[in-house]
This record gives sequence, C-alpha cells and structure tokens, in this order.
Amino acid sequence: MRKLLVVRRLSQLCFLGLFVYILWSTTYPLKGILPSGIFFKFDPLIMILTSISERLLLSGIIFSILMLGLTAVWGRFFCGWVCPLGTVIDIAGVFGKPKVLSDVQNQKARKLKFLILGIGTILAICSIQAVWILDPLVIIARFISLNLIPALTGMIDGLFSWMIRIFHLYGPVYDLYRGLKSSLLGVKIYYFSHSLIILSLFLAIFIAAMKLKRSWCRVVCPLGALYALFSKTALFKRSVEKCVNCGMCRPECRMGAIKEDISYVKSECVLCMDCVYSCPANVTRFSFVKPKLEEKSGGITRRQFLALGFVSAMAAVSGCKDEVLASRPKRQRVVRPPAALKEEEFLDRCIRCGNCMKVCITNGLQPALFQAGLSGIWTPQLVPEIGYCEYHCTLCGNVCPTGAIPKLSLEEKLKTRLGLARIDRKLCLPWKKGKDCKECIVCEEHCPIGNKAIKLKKVNVDGKIVSRPYINERLCIGCGICQTKCPARPERAIKVYPVMVDHGNSNKETIK
Amino acid sequence: MEKISRRKFLKLAGYGCGSLFLLQLFSRLGLSQLFASEFNGRARRQIQTDHDLVAVKGEDPKIITRKAIDALGGMSKFVKPGATVVVKPNIGWDRAPEYAANTNPGVVAVLVEMCFEAGAKRVNVFDNPCNSGERTYESSGIREAAQKAGAQVYFVDTWNYVKAVFEYDSPMKGWPIFRDAIECDTFINVPVLKHHGLTGLTMGMKNLMGVCGGSRGLMHFDNARKLADVADFIKPELTVIDAFRVLTRNGPTGGNLADVKLTQTVIASADIALADVYAARFAGKDPGSISVITEAVKRGLVSLDYSNKDILELTA
Repeated sequence: MRKLLVVRRLSQLCFLGLFVYILWSTTYPLKGILPSGIFFKFDPLIMILTSISERLLLSGIIFSILMLGLTAVWGRFFCGWVCPLGTVIDIAGVFGKPKVLSDVQNQKARKLKFLILGIGTILAICSIQAVWILDPLVIIARFISLNLIPALTGMIDGLFSWMIRIFHLYGPVYDLYRGLKSSLLGVKIYYFSHSLIILSLFLAIFIAAMKLKRSWCRVVCPLGALYALFSKTALFKRSVEKCVNCGMCRPECRMGAIKEDISYVKSECVLCMDCVYSCPANVTRFSFVKPKLEEKSGGITRRQFLALGFVSAMAAVSGCKDEVLASRPKRQRVVRPPAALKEEEFLDRCIRCGNCMKVCITNGLQPALFQAGLSGIWTPQLVPEIGYCEYHCTLCGNVCPTGAIPKLSLEEKLKTRLGLARIDRKLCLPWKKGKDCKECIVCEEHCPIGNKAIKLKKVNVDGKIVSRPYINERLCIGCGICQTKCPARPERAIKVYPVMVDHGNSNKETIK
Repeated sequence: MEKISRRKFLKLAGYGCGSLFLLQLFSRLGLSQLFASEFNGRARRQIQTDHDLVAVKGEDPKIITRKAIDALGGMSKFVKPGATVVVKPNIGWDRAPEYAANTNPGVVAVLVEMCFEAGAKRVNVFDNPCNSGERTYESSGIREAAQKAGAQVYFVDTWNYVKAVFEYDSPMKGWPIFRDAIECDTFINVPVLKHHGLTGLTMGMKNLMGVCGGSRGLMHFDNARKLADVADFIKPELTVIDAFRVLTRNGPTGGNLADVKLTQTVIASADIALADVYAARFAGKDPGSISVITEAVKRGLVSLDYSNKDILELTA
C-alpha cells in the first residue's frame, strides 16, 4: 500500500485541476466559483515582494503569510503537494532517466535559487519588482492562459467544424457544438501574438525536468527558495531508525535532498514521500518532532551584523522610490488596459500573469514583446487590429491580482480614456481623393460614445457627396473599435495612440 | 505502467506540433472555401395576407405585435406546421433595450411564441453582432426572452456559409451568406427602426446585413444595391419593424436616452420594401432620400406613394 503516494498524487492533480478550472473560468461573464487570480494571494513571493517594492499592502497578503506560517510547521508541502508547475514537472520527470548528483553538485545547484531570491529581494527594496520573471505560478498561469487553453479550445473547435462540414452533421452534432461554444469553449477562439516564446519558456522547464528530476525546483525556483528558508524550523521531519545503509532512497529523491550519508536536507525536502516507500527495510518515517530548545548565545554574530547593516542601508535607499523611477523611461509607447497605473508604476506592479489577456472579451489585450521596452515584456497592450476595448466591459480590472489595472465601476469605465484615435487622411477611403473616394462611415457607426466621438461632414467631391469622418478629441476615449472595424487594408486608416497622462497617481483620466 | 522513452516522447510531441502547423497552414490557405457550396437564393412564396401592411400602436410591445400579426391573417399564413423558422432581430449592439439600438425583446419573444402556436418545429434566433456576441445577446435581453419562449438562440459560425449566386450581375456575387439564414421554411425579419449615419435609417433591408459574413466595412460601398440584392436573395416571408422606441440621432449605436423617442408602434408586412417605405414616413423622413428605398423603387418593387395599398392602422 503506497497510500501516501496516492494521496499526494491526488492532491497534486486536484490542485492542478483547480488551477486550470480557475483560469478556464477567467472569461466573460466571470462566473467561476472562485475569484480569478486567487492563487496569487497564496503566493508569498508575489504578494510580499510586490508589497515591498510598491510600498503598500496588497489585499489578501494575509493568505500568503499564512502559507509561510504553515511551511514553518510542515515544511515545503506546497512544492510537493500543491504547486501546479511542480505537478507538471513531476509528470515530465516520468519521461526522463533518473540522474543522481553528488553531494557537492547538489549543494552548488541549490544555491542558485537563493541567489535569485536575494537579488529579487534587493530589487524589491530598491522598488523594482522583478520576481515575476521566475515565479512558478506566474509561469504556469501564463502558459495555461495564453498557450494551453487557446490551443485546446482551438483544436476542439476546429475538429467539430471540420467534422460537421465534411460529414454534413448539421443536425444534433451541430447543436451540441453550438451548446459547447456558448458554454465551455467560449464564443471566441483566442489568439495571442508571439505566444510561442511563452511556450518555449515552459518547454525549457519541462525538458530540463526530463534531464534532471525537479531541476527547476532544485536550482531556479525563487518561491521554492523562500519556502526553503521558512521550512528550516519545520517540525514535520523525516527519521530513519535502524538504517541498513542500503542507499536505495538516495537516487529516488526527486529533490536531491538525501545526502550520501543518508541524512537529509530538510529545507530541500518537498514531502513527496518517495523515500518512505523506496526503503526496503521499511524504516523511513515522517512524523512531528517536538522542537528542541537550543541555547542561544547573547549578542549577534558577525553574519547577523552584516545582514542588519545591509537591511538598514536598503531601507535608507527605499525612501527614494521616486528618484529611482525618475531615471526610467516615462513615455508610454503602447495602449494600456483601461485605467492602468502610470507606465512606470504599471511595469512594476504587473506580474505578467496573463489574467487580463485571458479575460479580455474581444481578445484585444495582447502580450507585448518589446513594444513597451525591454522591461515591458509580456505586459498587456491593446492591439485594436485584433480586438477593441468593449465599452461596457470592466473585466480586466476585476481579475488583476496586484491592482496594476484597478477595479472600475461601470460608470468610471465609461469615462476612462485609454488613448486617442487619429485618422490618416491618406488612407481613409472617404478622404482619399479621386475615383477611390467612397462612402464608408464604419468608424462613426461603431463609435460607442452616446454623442459620437467621430463626426461626419458631408463634402462634395467631384460631384459626389461623401461623408468624411472627424474625431472629437474631447469625447474620444480611445477604445479602438474604430480601428478594429476600419475596412482599410493593409493598414487601418484610423488608429488609437497612447496618451501621456501626467497627473495624479493613476491613468484614470476622465472625460469631463 | 509502460514507460515511454524520452526519444519516443519527443517524437510524438514533434508529430503533434507538425500536424497542428499543417492544419493551420491549410486553413490559412482557404481550404474552408472548398466546403462552401453555392446557393442562388431562397424560393419566393406567394402569401396572401388580409392587408398589405398593418401598423399597431399601443403600450405593450407584446400585445401590439400579436395584434399586428393577427390583423395580417395570423401566423399560420407564414408558418406551416412542422416548419423551421428563422426570427432575425437586430442584436448588433451592447445596449439595454431602453436605448433602442436593438430590437425590443418583447417583440421577438411574441413572434417566437406565435411561431410555435402555428406549429413550428423549431425557431432559430441569431444575428451577426457588431459588439461582442456574448454581451449583445445578454444586454439586449433577447437571448433570455427568446429562450424563454422556446427558441434556439445561438451565435453564427463564420465558417458556416454559402456563396451567394444571382441570376443578374450583382456586387454581392460570391458573398458569404450564413447557412442558418437560408436553411429554413420561413424567414421573419425583425428590425428595429433607428437612425443610421450611412443609410439615413435602418429598417427591413438594412437588418439583413446580419445574415451576411465577410467584411462589414466593404458592404458599405455601393450599399443600396447590395442590400436590395440580399433582400432579393433572402426573400423574407414577413417583416416586422419594431418602432416601439425609435433612436432618432447618433445611430445605429445610440447611447443617449434623450435621443430615444417612445412611439409605441409595430409595423408588419409581407412586403419588405413596403414596410421600409412606411417606416421611413413614420420616422418623419422622406423615403426618397433613403438610398435603399430608391434602389427598390428603381427595380419596381415598391412605389413611394402607397395610397393604393391596403394599409391598416390600429391602436391596442
């Protein structure tokens, strides 16, 4: 009976399923049982370091502190039993050949993640939030939202539509397909630009896990490093009584936590319970051990002194967040989601989880590559060629886990400006002179503003009355529907450009 | 469990990616075009109604719609038992019913009910919306109302179309028309009467843009001819124009309640062109100024003067 293994695998699959479910239901009308992005509230790396770098308390930070508390008692149960990326990595490990590192190699390998965590913390204290780059939940969430779900839904949709057309299944099969579309699949099959790069990052982690079991968790994961620090005090421990020194458990350990002398590194153990069952003598146990009260010498050690000095120096630096920010590029180069924070703050607050892009009803929010600068990689930008900002929709602010896109009431949203539309008169069909001169008005027709931010003026061109569009910049909110629907090709004649907003704390410029 | 070797796994993954890529390539190359059959328009059905056109005024959109259809001679004139019916409202915009940008949900619901009362087997309700479909179906109130009445309400699939063929030279030749619109025994066209920047007003013929795929923008060029051709292609058996609330300015999207006029009328006719001429007059516009109508007049489908027609105006 490998009861504990079965329970662990069940727990892992349940949490992975829950994770996928939450992301799957991150779509209009947002009616999942659990709020989207809730798992980030349980991610101390994101919650605490973002709070430090942004000098505020993110709502729900208490959950992540709770996780640290649990880890201090139980150890790294999160990594072995909960983490969805860990589960995928474990699945990858099944396909690999077991490889065993020596103690020295292991020790070297596991140091890197602490270095990464350290750098992340220093940057956070310097008010730069960079931990998102290597946070496991962000990586798996982005993969599921921007790669897995679009690919899966696209494949199911494609399969159905091909089958229906080839075999003329316009009866009940078509009805089933339509039912699926308005429920599980979603009306729109999503597309995300250069999502192959996101996929390759995930694949790299996957393949690395095939080479060496749990290589990501052992070497890179900064969240694992944070939990490792806290699990040092854990009371739930491995004990081996009357060990016969057969060494069978060592190559089985996916974290390389068992040393050559069969003792183990507690902070590396993810409680996978493999060693309990690989022990032929059946003497390996995990149990609670009462904490030993160690005698503490008075005063502080040199190491503590240095750490204290470092922290206070950093605290001094932290006062000048504005100076740090001032040195960064200010120009907003892409159209951000409605009411997104000021560009430099936005870059810090956004953890690139992809929730806003997943939920965007028109698929208009797309991951930026370098359009917003190198530091803006994978931040959301509105690409009206693909989709516009739906006038009455407030979904993206509702799913943002860090508040980089604030929650808006419908009333606020209707007045929020994302950018400004501009007409290129060389491309616009009614503006082009001569025989190309045509009736169009598609932009005016779609403009959602009650009084129309696009006005038409009738002009006589060579004996033909043509309505030419003009933009009223006071009314335009830059939603981009005009650009989406503009029939001019290959380049749209009307485009939305970002506006530089220069007042207040956020981008919430409102229309009077 | 049998272990899959790494080589085998990578090979499998490679095949998967490759076939996905090929599939995408094929669909990009327009392989879906192969499936699209050609179609030369629905057959015309001669329906003798009791009056040429009925306009009913009253406080409840449901009651006046029912009265209008009954005055024409009842739904059984249009819907035979066992028939499949399409009710095509305007569900173009993400607006609540009060804004009069979409067809009144009450009007749609009553029509669906009456179709079933006449013995219809199935009633389909759909549109090709301009805003996100999920939102427009919801906020217009039409999905809820029509589903409650028993209709199938769904989103059109851009791949499920036929290519239009005409006996005459038409700018709509080869244009994708949704299969849903032609595979039915009765087509009921239920537009809302409202202002529109290009055509002046949107009415019966303009509402048929919702059965056309392809680029909406390109439909706007030579719009009058295209719309008249689509009307001739679909040949709706019944046109019910919802003029319960009329959007008088800033159409077709609207957004100001001040632009909405409460006129509490429903116009029903088997003749789509006549319904449009009457509705234009009703909205206080000269029908001759509306290009779709002048196109219809040019084809001899209707005349601007309808005094020789049998028109019944009622209040309920």
